[in-house]
Amino acid sequence: MNSKEEKCTVIENRQLQKNYFLMKLKADYIASQCRAGHFIMLAASRSYDPLLKRPFGILRAEPPYIWLYYETVGRGTELISSLKAGDEVDAIGPLGNAFPEFTGKRILMVAGGRGIVPLYFAIETLGPSNDVFLVHGVRTKEDFNLQDEIKRLPLKNTYLYSDDGSFEKKGFVTTDIRDIITSNRIEITFSCGPDAMFENLFHTISGMNTENYVSLEALMGCGIGICYSCVVKMVTGHYKKVCSDGPIFKMEDIAW
Amino acid sequence: MVNTSIDMSVDLGFIKLKNPVIPASGTFGYGEEFEPFFNLDTLGGFVLKGIYKEARNGNPPPRIHETASGLLNSIGLAGPGAVELQKIITRVASVTTTPIIVNVCGGSDEEYVEIAEIFDSMPEVAMLELNISCPNIHEGGRCVAQDDKHTFRLVKRIKDLTSKPLMVKLTPNAPNITSIACAAEEAGADCLSLVNTFLGMAVNLEKRAPVFKNIFAGLSGPAIKPLALKLVWEVSRSVHIPVIGMGGICSGRDVLEFMLVGASAVQTGTINMVEPCASVRIIGEIESLMNTLKITNLNEIKGALRV
Repeated sequence: MNSKEEKCTVIENRQLQKNYFLMKLKADYIASQCRAGHFIMLAASRSYDPLLKRPFGILRAEPPYIWLYYETVGRGTELISSLKAGDEVDAIGPLGNAFPEFTGKRILMVAGGRGIVPLYFAIETLGPSNDVFLVHGVRTKEDFNLQDEIKRLPLKNTYLYSDDGSFEKKGFVTTDIRDIITSNRIEITFSCGPDAMFENLFHTISGMNTENYVSLEALMGCGIGICYSCVVKMVTGHYKKVCSDGPIFKMEDIAW
Repeated sequence: MVNTSIDMSVDLGFIKLKNPVIPASGTFGYGEEFEPFFNLDTLGGFVLKGIYKEARNGNPPPRIHETASGLLNSIGLAGPGAVELQKIITRVASVTTTPIIVNVCGGSDEEYVEIAEIFDSMPEVAMLELNISCPNIHEGGRCVAQDDKHTFRLVKRIKDLTSKPLMVKLTPNAPNITSIACAAEEAGADCLSLVNTFLGMAVNLEKRAPVFKNIFAGLSGPAIKPLALKLVWEVSRSVHIPVIGMGGICSGRDVLEFMLVGASAVQTGTINMVEPCASVRIIGEIESLMNTLKITNLNEIKGALRV
C-alpha cells in the first residue's frame, strides 16, 4: 500500500440527522489510490491537543474527491465536525487492506449503523459486475441518513431494519439473514458494524457455507502499523493489527 | 536561502551520524513501515521496536489512552521474537545505509545477554540500545533501571560481550536517574538515551475502573517535554559520555533545545505515530533554524545553555 501524508481541503462538512456528518474532501492522491475498504487518518487539530489523528472509513471516491460519513463520538470527531468548507486538514492514506474483488458472484452486504461506510464503497465497486444485496440495520430512524444515496446504488435488493421499529422493519440485521442468504443463493458476505452485531452475525451465519469478510473498527493510535494498539484477537490466540493487517479480515479468523 | 556550509552531522565519538535525529524504539516499527513515506537514508539513525527472545503477544486492549497533548500506552512490548527480527533487519538493511539500532529487552539478565549476543553477530546492526526498563521476572516486576547496582552489573555484562557501541536507555521512573546514569557510564556504556515514558494512569469514572489492565501506563508526547528536558539537563551535567535526549520532541526547535541542555543527539517518539514524515520535517527545520541562529555546526549549540 502506497500511503502518503496529504493536505486535504474540506469542500463540504454537512450535518445530517442527530450527530451524523457527511464530509466531502479534496484529496487528490488518496482519491486516486483508494479502494473499497480503505480508510484514512484525519487530524483533529492543528496543534498537539488532541494529539492523535482519527481513523475514518472512506464512503466513496470520485477523484479528486472522497466522502466520509461519520458520527461524533468524542472530542476528536467533534473538532472535525466543526471544519468548514475551504479549511485544510492533514490526512494519511489510503490505509489498510481492501475488500477482495469479485465478478459474477452473489454478494450480501451486512451493515450495522455507520458500518455502512466501507460497504457503500464496495457496493459501488462490485455492484456492476456482481449481484449485490444489502441488509442494513440502525438503532432508530434518525440513525439512517443516506436513504437517497443508497437508493441509487447498484443493488439487487435492500432489506432495512431498526432496533426500535421506528423505521422500516423492527429487528436486527440478523433477524432474517438466514432466509435472505438462502433465498438469494448468497455466496459471499461483507459486513461492518458494532462488535455486538459481529458476534451475533457470526453465530447466526456460521456453517452456511458463505465466504465471509468483516471490516473492523478499533481504537487506533497511528493507522500505519507501528503503535500496536488497535489489536484484535484471532482464533489462533494471536493478536493482529486492525490498521495494517486489516481492517478487512475473514470472519472465521477472528476470536469472537 | 539555504547556507550550504551548514553541517548537521553529530560525532558521538564511536559513530558519526549525518544528523541528530533518530526515531525512537516503539515509535518507528522496524523501519520498513516508513518506506512508503520517505527514504530512510534521510535519518541520523533509527531504533527498532524492542525485542525479546520469543514472540510476544502483548497486553490485551485497550493499549492506548490519549491525554492532553500526550499518550498513555501499555502495549506490553509485543514483538516477533529475535529470530524473526534478524530476517527483518536483513531486509531493512538492504534498502538503507542509515545506522540501525536494536533495542535489547529481557525479562532476566540471561535473556538480555542472549539477545545482545544474537544481534552483536549481525554486521547490519550499528549499535545496541539496552532497554533496562523491562519488568524483571526475578525482581517482582521491578526493572533493572531502578537499581544502580543492578544497572552496573548488567551493563558491564553486555559491554563485555559486545563489540558494538552500547547505548543505555534510562527510565524517569527511578528514584534517582543521575545515579543510574553514572552506574551505566562506570560500567562502560558508550552513551545514554533518556527518557523512556513516565508512568501514569487513567481511570474510567463511569466504570469505577482503571483504563488499563496493568493500571499504570507510560506517558509520552509533547506533554512530557519539560520533564524530559530537565532530566536530560541533569544527566548531561553528571556524565562524560554522550546523552541522546528524548521526550515529546515535535519540531526542529525542540531538538535544538534538547541539545542546548546537553544532548548530543535526539530521539523522536510519539510524533512519528501522528505524522509519519515528522522526522524528515524536523531535520528540515533544524537546518533552517541553524540558518536563522547563524550557526554552522551543532557543536556550537550543544550544552551551550547560559545559566
